[in-house]
Amino acid sequence: MVDSLIAKEAVVAVFDLNADGLGELAREQPGVHCVQCDVSNHADVVMATTLYHEEFGAADVLINNAGILYSEPLIRISGSGVERHDPESWNKVLAADLSSVFYMTSCVVAKMITTRTRGVIANISSVAASGNAGQSAYSAAKAGVNALTAVWAKELGPMGIRVVAVAPGFTETDSTKEALSEGVLRETTKRVPLRRLGKPQEIAQGVVSVLENDFFNGKIFELDGGLIV
Amino acid sequence: MDQNVESLVAEVLQIPAGTINDDLAMQDVDVWDSLKHMELIVSLEEKFGLQLSFEEIVTMQSVGSIKRVLKDRGAVN
Repeated sequence: MVDSLIAKEAVVAVFDLNADGLGELAREQPGVHCVQCDVSNHADVVMATTLYHEEFGAADVLINNAGILYSEPLIRISGSGVERHDPESWNKVLAADLSSVFYMTSCVVAKMITTRTRGVIANISSVAASGNAGQSAYSAAKAGVNALTAVWAKELGPMGIRVVAVAPGFTETDSTKEALSEGVLRETTKRVPLRRLGKPQEIAQGVVSVLENDFFNGKIFELDGGLIV
Repeated sequence: MDQNVESLVAEVLQIPAGTINDDLAMQDVDVWDSLKHMELIVSLEEKFGLQLSFEEIVTMQSVGSIKRVLKDRGAVN
């Protein structure tokens, strides 16, 4: 994603929890402004965005790309009986995948409004928003992201701020491989007419395209290779 | 100028033009909430061909203050 934005001569800042990842990014792309921030924590977001705005002013694009992929069925039947979905995991996924979008967007848009900056908010959703068995928290979070996209597009459109979402299907990422078993991935790939997972650079290309199209607003751009659900 | 502003306010807020006067303020009109206020601001900007600053937007909380800001900006006489 960063590479695609830099190729378009964007000035990029990355907010991430992972200090090691940020360090590696800073070495690979010295021009990128790296900010360690837990975007699932409201206070952290307020502080980090305040400091960012003091140094750089209002952003004109926000891409809400942070999130964790998590699978757990609502109910598991084991030898010891019935086990319920861990509520802590539920809270953690909602915080990372949905609340983070709310926190970051409210802080960034507040600055955009006070400076009358026009721009785009791009939320990374997922086809899971329509409901993947075994992904209560993840699907609920992404469905929430879709709803926020629609709500904010209506609220902010008149002020010159578009709000869009890109919903990838199954994509070749480390988090996908960690969250889904090989068997599930194999079966899933069969449901994609193109018979493969998406590539991260294809998703990044999709994000850039919705950023560039000034009439795309309030809608979800599904990038899933034609996945048959 | 007054009639232009008042008719625009009436149109955006969907209230009778006869109820519009300089003292009419946001807190007096149920439908004149934050979202409606932004719609009103954008409509004023489009009608008078200007971009209002955030500071100006914040002060435009009544019909009278709207007229004052537009007059100060030279958008109206």
